[in-house]
Amino acid sequence: MSTPLLDRPSALPRDALPPLVDLVVALADNKHALGLRYGEWCSSGPTIEAGVAATAMAQDELGHARVLYGLLEELPGAPHRSEHEWAAEDARTVGLLEQPLSSWPHLIVANVLLDQALAFVLDTALESRYLPLRQRTRKLIEEERFHAIHGQGWLLQLAAEGPDVRAGLEGIIRQAWADTLCWFGPDAGGALAPLVTLGVLREAGDSVRQRFLQMFGPLLRGAGLAAPVRAEGGRWVLAEPLPWSRWDEARRRVRHA
Amino acid sequence: MKTIGSEPVYEVFARRVDGEPLRHVGSVAAPDDALARVYARSIYDEESWIEMYVVPRRAIIPVESVRTEAVDAHA
Repeated sequence: MSTPLLDRPSALPRDALPPLVDLVVALADNKHALGLRYGEWCSSGPTIEAGVAATAMAQDELGHARVLYGLLEELPGAPHRSEHEWAAEDARTVGLLEQPLSSWPHLIVANVLLDQALAFVLDTALESRYLPLRQRTRKLIEEERFHAIHGQGWLLQLAAEGPDVRAGLEGIIRQAWADTLCWFGPDAGGALAPLVTLGVLREAGDSVRQRFLQMFGPLLRGAGLAAPVRAEGGRWVLAEPLPWSRWDEARRRVRHA
Repeated sequence: MKTIGSEPVYEVFARRVDGEPLRHVGSVAAPDDALARVYARSIYDEESWIEMYVVPRRAIIPVESVRTEAVDAHA
């Protein structure tokens, strides 16, 4: 017997609301910030084509944020959010997006790491039991396919420029690493685990992180870049523990050391 | 990495509806096929295409041209 869909907010168990609200706020705020940061490169990409692609990704991300803010409006207890009244100081964004992406390699690392991590989390809602989330997810994931191709293509291009550029990329990757890899949640997902149990998300925590590493590890190897990940027994695993003591579960970001 | 500005050119073709011929809609410069796809989708998105393709310009074989050297090179 198939599990019935949860077709409206009132069908959600009361204790599922806080983790769902926190997740959607953090997803939407990060996407909004990512859209603004991509947009800062609209007219200053390394080529006209690259600038236009950054513009298109900015439009996509701002659109994704708008869709997710719309989802929040239906959820009881959700904070008010609007793309027209966006307050950066209140936003639940990760550290890399607090400042403008100061170089094209910064944009590419945000593209290939953070943007893709958010897409991996969204992908866990593709078959969500919570219908309003499920209905909004598919188009977002389809657009994210092109963001992935863009990020991966440019990472390889930049890394081929030489050791100085590779060292710069490795520094930026390390800067974004903890926030990105923690984003999936600890162990079985931490605060997201009840949403998995309920069928709102397919999975969370370690299992999503593992899938992300199986995508990202080979890409790093192909680019000749070092990061805290290594191949072990045919799988890619973390080479260093993540800073869970500084992980802020509600805001979904790592607190500054 | 190729010098920026010297990347290969890809011609972009698309059609709006089934039965309509593919038509040339423009071109992009990109270092590889993957980024050519991304750029074509970003730049030529003004219509709801049902299909879009990129073709490396170097793969297009001239048949006739007022610039005879272009045809002669493939003779």
